[in-house]
Amino acid sequence: MSIGIPPWPIPPRELGVYVHFPWCLRKCGYCDFLSVALPREAIPVAAYTDAVLAELHARAPHVTMDRAAVGADGTEDPEGTSGNPSPVVRVASVYFGGGTPSLWTPRELGRVIAGVAGAFTVDPNVEITVECNPSSFSREQAESLLAVGANRVSIGVQGLDSGRLAFLERLHDGAQALAAVEAAVAARVPRIAADLIFGLPEQSAAAAASEARILAALPVTHLSAYALTIEPDTPFGDRARTGRLPLVSEELLADSFLAVSDTLVAAGLTHYEVSNYARGGHVSRHNLGCWRGQDYLGLGAGAWGTITDRTGRIRYRNTPSPERYVAGYAALGRSASRDPARWPAPWPGAVTEQEPIDAETALRERLMLGLRLAEGVDLVEAAAALGVAPFPRSRRAAIDRLTAQGRLSVDGGRLVIPRSAWLLADGTIADLI
Amino acid sequence: MPAPPSRIRNFSIIAHVDHGKSTLADRILDVTGALSERERVDQFLDKLELERERGITIKAQTVRLQYRTGDGAVYQLQLIDTPGHVDFNYEVSSSLRACEGALLVVDATQGVQAQTVANVYLALENDLEIVPVINKIDLPSADVDRAAQDIEQVIGLDCSGAVLASGKTGQGVAELLEAVISRIPPPQGDPAAPLRALVYDSWYDSYRGAVVNIRVFEGTLRKGDKILLMATRRTYEVTALGCFSPHPVALDELGPGEVGFVAASIKSVEDTKIGDTITLAARPASTPLPGFRVVKPMVFAGLFPTDAAQYEDLRDALSKLHLNDASFSFEPDTSEALGFGFRCGFLGLLHMEIVQERLEREYDIDLITTAPSVVYHAYTKGGDLVTVDSPSKMPLAGDVERVEEPIMKVTIHVPNEFVGAVVPLCEERRGIQLDITYPTPDHVVIVYELPLAEVILDFHDKLKSVSRGYASMDYELVGYRANDLVKLDILVNGEPLDALSVIVHRSAAYYQGRALASKLKELVPRQQYEVAIQAALGNKVISRVTVKALRKDVTAKCYGGDITRKRKLLEKQREGKRRMKSVGNIDMPQEAFLAVLKLET
Repeated sequence: MSIGIPPWPIPPRELGVYVHFPWCLRKCGYCDFLSVALPREAIPVAAYTDAVLAELHARAPHVTMDRAAVGADGTEDPEGTSGNPSPVVRVASVYFGGGTPSLWTPRELGRVIAGVAGAFTVDPNVEITVECNPSSFSREQAESLLAVGANRVSIGVQGLDSGRLAFLERLHDGAQALAAVEAAVAARVPRIAADLIFGLPEQSAAAAASEARILAALPVTHLSAYALTIEPDTPFGDRARTGRLPLVSEELLADSFLAVSDTLVAAGLTHYEVSNYARGGHVSRHNLGCWRGQDYLGLGAGAWGTITDRTGRIRYRNTPSPERYVAGYAALGRSASRDPARWPAPWPGAVTEQEPIDAETALRERLMLGLRLAEGVDLVEAAAALGVAPFPRSRRAAIDRLTAQGRLSVDGGRLVIPRSAWLLADGTIADLI
Repeated sequence: MPAPPSRIRNFSIIAHVDHGKSTLADRILDVTGALSERERVDQFLDKLELERERGITIKAQTVRLQYRTGDGAVYQLQLIDTPGHVDFNYEVSSSLRACEGALLVVDATQGVQAQTVANVYLALENDLEIVPVINKIDLPSADVDRAAQDIEQVIGLDCSGAVLASGKTGQGVAELLEAVISRIPPPQGDPAAPLRALVYDSWYDSYRGAVVNIRVFEGTLRKGDKILLMATRRTYEVTALGCFSPHPVALDELGPGEVGFVAASIKSVEDTKIGDTITLAARPASTPLPGFRVVKPMVFAGLFPTDAAQYEDLRDALSKLHLNDASFSFEPDTSEALGFGFRCGFLGLLHMEIVQERLEREYDIDLITTAPSVVYHAYTKGGDLVTVDSPSKMPLAGDVERVEEPIMKVTIHVPNEFVGAVVPLCEERRGIQLDITYPTPDHVVIVYELPLAEVILDFHDKLKSVSRGYASMDYELVGYRANDLVKLDILVNGEPLDALSVIVHRSAAYYQGRALASKLKELVPRQQYEVAIQAALGNKVISRVTVKALRKDVTAKCYGGDITRKRKLLEKQREGKRRMKSVGNIDMPQEAFLAVLKLET
């Protein structure tokens, strides 16, 4: 029998909740997120909301019960049936991603927020983000989202040049992109994030920096700037493979990355992750939690979640088929299974991929994610929490070598990739994991 | 009591890799009742894991079996298995000298294969009686007549009495053993003559020290005897005698024709030279058995741990391996580029690869191996001889009066149809033809003098490929000869990288320099900064290439849904980096140090 010490360290107390909305009006050629293109009226928003709530009710007891079971008072609640949300888990963020979650009606989306608030203890400063597409976003919609509890919007601006937006197959032009940001400002959304893509064909580094400068001049609190990445299973990937996509040189991508970074830092933003910038400390709390190794509950078709319980850490992915997802949870309804033996699949087929994350793997992930942050990662602390050795021989040798090359700096137990060496971060991380 | 020689037969088995030699050997153990049911592991005779994987035998294995013939007579059969690669030709030859005959096993579905021919030539040179065996006759595609015809044509061996067998079903195995008894001559030898026993194998045992396998030719060896090893002139007292059957069995004495092992508190296998003759200290033989040769390492390469902290581990591992394999040598070495390591000598390239693989696999040491080199003799203008077993030891060009390189006499056996391909190969390797003879109309023996440097790298592979595998070769050192040899240096970002230097013939230097630089460009991954690679003769740069700097190597998006996929990609990238050595600030992969082996010639 257990002597009261869980075999796995007591998990982080903060929990993120990610909710995936798997539809778009049109799929962009570069995008490899799970999304199905449908006309707005064909999207079954109400049925999808019901399914997400059914999944939430199936998963929440599992997420909380193990924590309750190792709670301070020592009482066990193996069935998780007491009905009281566990005080040990605190939801720090809810993130509606997609797809295009701005196609979800605020009323339906609000039901999910309320469901989360009912199932868990929620941090008073919880961050609730909704990704919005300029083609389906207005001041009225922003106000409705605020009314149901959202407090942050992330707008897929992607660019300000209409020609380049057309190349990306976006449904909006530059003016609409800016109008979307202005609508959020007018609605007094407290935190406004915008996404930008650079490294497009025939876009100079100066042109990329110029778009960043214009966005930074707006009252946004957060910017994500991504180098255009050609993913294999996308229309862009197919075109690249057959030589039908103009390619951008590695030099230009690197120069653009640096130009964008310099511009945004000069404009007062903090470059806190490889592709992310914050103003006034308004980092993405949801993503930062993930990068710092916290658990996140994934809900919705195609969503990924990573949850630690007393048997260990497990990562799962929900079925990517919206139809199967809705049908499966519709059949389950409110009687969603709380059988822990079924975790993480509340019904057969609910989960299409799952992976136990052992302590060594968890540490490698902490390094992989943490080294993308300006703050780096406290390797000694992370290893101690996981009960594994921080410095096996090969890692110690790699640290010495990378430090000598200026690709890594070490401060006590903390490893940091200097911002000047972020462009080579993947190779650095590969040496250390 | 030892068996009378008339009741002893010593034989080995010659076969192509997958023609069923091991299965047949196992079946022989079955028929003679040597193994219990439980012990019938496939291929009992191949002990080392590495041997099984590579399908070659490195150490000889010997097993003594009792066989009762149809007419009730009991015979002592001694099966001596042999290694099979040119690097170990001397060992093979020594093992074969312990036998009077050999079974030539040919797959009935495939006919004679190249490797078989090479080993038959070796057996014929050692005057062995060869009994053809056509194996795998149980297979539907077996064609016994064609296989027999093949043996007669390619090898010139009469197949009218070939034994038909199946290692799988056991069919013909008893007939096979009857043929061994009736056709292979019994050993000769006077049990009362002064002892002469051939050492054909040795290994290290942590309790008994070096143990040798011997074949007694004359006289009798008893437990407690004081023995003299005639080549090393050392004496020992025999502490144990025995044979494998296939488990070790202790014996009191070994008589003429018998095969067995001897333990005599010999400290190291280094003191047990293959081919040496054992005699009695009190009553020594007047002459040793013929054929002894001192085996010396021919090929030298540096072994360096990728992680300097593993230097002591590497030393321990080399010492342990050396206990069992005295044919490689090692001594501490330092390289400006690679730090502390060892300069090791090997019999040949395969031997080097085997040692390297064992170090990595059995001792878990990540190694950088530098390009193999032969030992040159450099004479300075002051008249001094400098032994150059590593290009970095070559004196400065201005101080060198002449450089001599080892020259080998290479004997190649090949079927007639490939002569036209083999001769040009020897010519382009700076060969001098000594002789071409035809022992039979189809069997040609080509003898060339070739610089060892031209032989060690890929000559054997090339020879096999131009002869579709049929050619076999043996080589021996005949001396040193001066040649126009120069050191080709490789500079990385302007700094000479000593471990990449090679010694080449001046006529090939420009071509080699350019080829080496462009091969390195392929092998060195892009790094943080541009890397300039130059090939130079003395102060003269003859080729320059540039590995462009890596500007961007970072994933744009890494969120909750990307973690597993992204982590797996990075883990894969990490595996590729394990054998990377940091030289200065440049990451060099193991392959770069062996780039010279990868050049198209």
